[in-house]
Amino acid sequence: MSRTLSVEHLARVEGHGGFVVSYDETGVVTQSDFEVFEGMRLLEGLIRGRAFADVAPLVSRICAICSVAHTLASLRATERAFGVTPDGYAASVRDLLLLGESIQSHALHLVFLALPDYVGSADVVEFAQAHGDVVEAGLRVKKAGNTLQTLLGGRAIHPVTPCVGGFVAIPTPETLLQVRAALDGVRDDAQVIAGALVALPPPSAMQGTASFAALRTPDRRYGVGDTIGIWQAGRLRTVPLDEYRTLFDETVVAHSHAKHSRIDGQSLMVGALARLVVNRDWQVDGVSDAAAALGLPLPSSDPLDNNRAQAVELVLDLERASTLVDELLDREPEGASLPVIEPRAATGIAAVEAPRGILVHEYEYDAGGRIVRANVVTPTAVNAASIEDHLRLATEQELADVARRPTASAGVHRSRSDDRRLRQRLEMLVRAYDPCISCSVHVLQRSDER
Amino acid sequence: MTKPTLGVFGLTGCAGDQLVLLDCEDELLTLLDLVDTRDFLMASSNGDEYCPLDVALVEGAVVTDRDEAHLRRIRDRAGLLVALGTCAVWGGIAAMDRRFDRAALAREIYGAAGRTNGRRTALALHEVVEVDASITGCPVEAAQLLEALAHLLRGNPPVFPGYPVCTECRIRECGCLLLEDGKACCGIITAAGCGARCPALGVPCIGCRGPAADPNTESAFRRYRELGLAERDAVAVLRTFAPEAAGEGGA
Repeated sequence: MSRTLSVEHLARVEGHGGFVVSYDETGVVTQSDFEVFEGMRLLEGLIRGRAFADVAPLVSRICAICSVAHTLASLRATERAFGVTPDGYAASVRDLLLLGESIQSHALHLVFLALPDYVGSADVVEFAQAHGDVVEAGLRVKKAGNTLQTLLGGRAIHPVTPCVGGFVAIPTPETLLQVRAALDGVRDDAQVIAGALVALPPPSAMQGTASFAALRTPDRRYGVGDTIGIWQAGRLRTVPLDEYRTLFDETVVAHSHAKHSRIDGQSLMVGALARLVVNRDWQVDGVSDAAAALGLPLPSSDPLDNNRAQAVELVLDLERASTLVDELLDREPEGASLPVIEPRAATGIAAVEAPRGILVHEYEYDAGGRIVRANVVTPTAVNAASIEDHLRLATEQELADVARRPTASAGVHRSRSDDRRLRQRLEMLVRAYDPCISCSVHVLQRSDER
Repeated sequence: MTKPTLGVFGLTGCAGDQLVLLDCEDELLTLLDLVDTRDFLMASSNGDEYCPLDVALVEGAVVTDRDEAHLRRIRDRAGLLVALGTCAVWGGIAAMDRRFDRAALAREIYGAAGRTNGRRTALALHEVVEVDASITGCPVEAAQLLEALAHLLRGNPPVFPGYPVCTECRIRECGCLLLEDGKACCGIITAAGCGARCPALGVPCIGCRGPAADPNTESAFRRYRELGLAERDAVAVLRTFAPEAAGEGGA
């Protein structure tokens, strides 16, 4: 007799999705589906025919919490198509803006969405009853990330200052000093959040599969260079961004609006943990020390460690952002005006690391500078296959644990508390990926359909 | 005295307006203390899907059958149903240009094997159920959201100015991008509330807050054409966030 555990609307994630796992009486998992019910807004299609200058603000609306990532990936894809390179100053401001988004996003995810589960709380309010200091620290860090985005981007959600070629308004030294003050003011708070992940009892660990993908860069700067790093079977290999389509092997899946990605049949994880694993050979920035302080092995095959990886990034990103501010203060903006943009019939591909993983935008323009075709590959769409594989693995491990109990009878006998524990474990697993489901409906077009 | 009960929901959208609420870091814990939040899926596992609600904030447009069914259930439970954000109030970006055949577009993007809920265009909430109050914006302004909540939690609908963004440009004494710089700025027909953030930065308004009260879209369309915009671009300027608001101007 098979049993099914179904969570139709997963709470404490961005967007609309859930999961279903089924298993038979011998403990074999017969179904593990991550189901995305987000409605299709079809933005990649609706923007066709738009002038190039209008594209980024529209695709920004794919997602609020990753709106900076979408905006910057979009602008760079357009710039690539037209052979435009923003100056180094603007590129650094973009990196700083992206760090601000990551700081805000990780603080939100860790304190509001993930940590409550570690103590069996239903939400941040319950969590605050015993851990008010962590919640208040989280709010301050989150606010610092938003302050940075507002000061540099004009608005925290759907920024208005980035444009093709650079920025409509470059931050003044006074603004940069405000940014640094906001960042420096929350260094200790970031440590409090990291400390919570060390101090709170970790839920059951799992032996998962360890295959990761992330952009290669030692210190979260994406102004130059486009290489995707793949960590698989204990080895790192690199692929040029232009060949991203060869990496993401598409399978259209009936139960979901997101397509699933595998490399050589193996599911990939993207996000903070992937970034740390794929880039660990650079050995810069105190990553090893920060990871060690959090008890985070690199690589880790436990997806739940993505939470600890986010905490590592949170602590280090505040320092990186501060360093970037100092660099910008020491430099002059290189040009008062934006580069001249000459549209042409061409295709451009660009990628950034959104907080939850690699994000790719590819655009094709006509000679008049109007967009003809757009493709967006989002991190949660890539993570969907990994989520399903680990839902399966976690369920199998949980069932095996129950079966090994001295009191276990033949077959899979489960009490209600067993079911609750399995559900809790699987929910925590999905949340650890920090899924951004609004984004994940935007998927790669199959090459044989173009 | 019992606390007013609140529900916060997202249909199809980017979740930006719910995020604005969570971005009120200084006020959030105080706010959560003043209300009894009964159903807020993005923030809490403790939701009650059935209880009555004094106030329901609903973000996003109606795109799927699930959205519609969910919206109707919320309407049944809610004393005051509030459309939150431009997608909920006007249809928003997903409703951009309803001339596009969504089903064909979905097949093109997802392939024949992809499932489609794209047979409908995105609808604003008021096109499906009766709405008691609206807070527009893409995303909504935090100050307006908090002000609105202060009114709503006492059972009063919020009141917002109907004048266009132009008025806020005048108050800030920015130069006029439309009249002086010849840019196709949507401020003349767009609802104020953002403080003319974009025009003050030299960026023409793209109309993300939807139309002001009684917008003169015909005049705006003519002006954009005089500035040299192709007809389809002038229409696109007017139709990006609020297809209904385009009215007859540019048809």
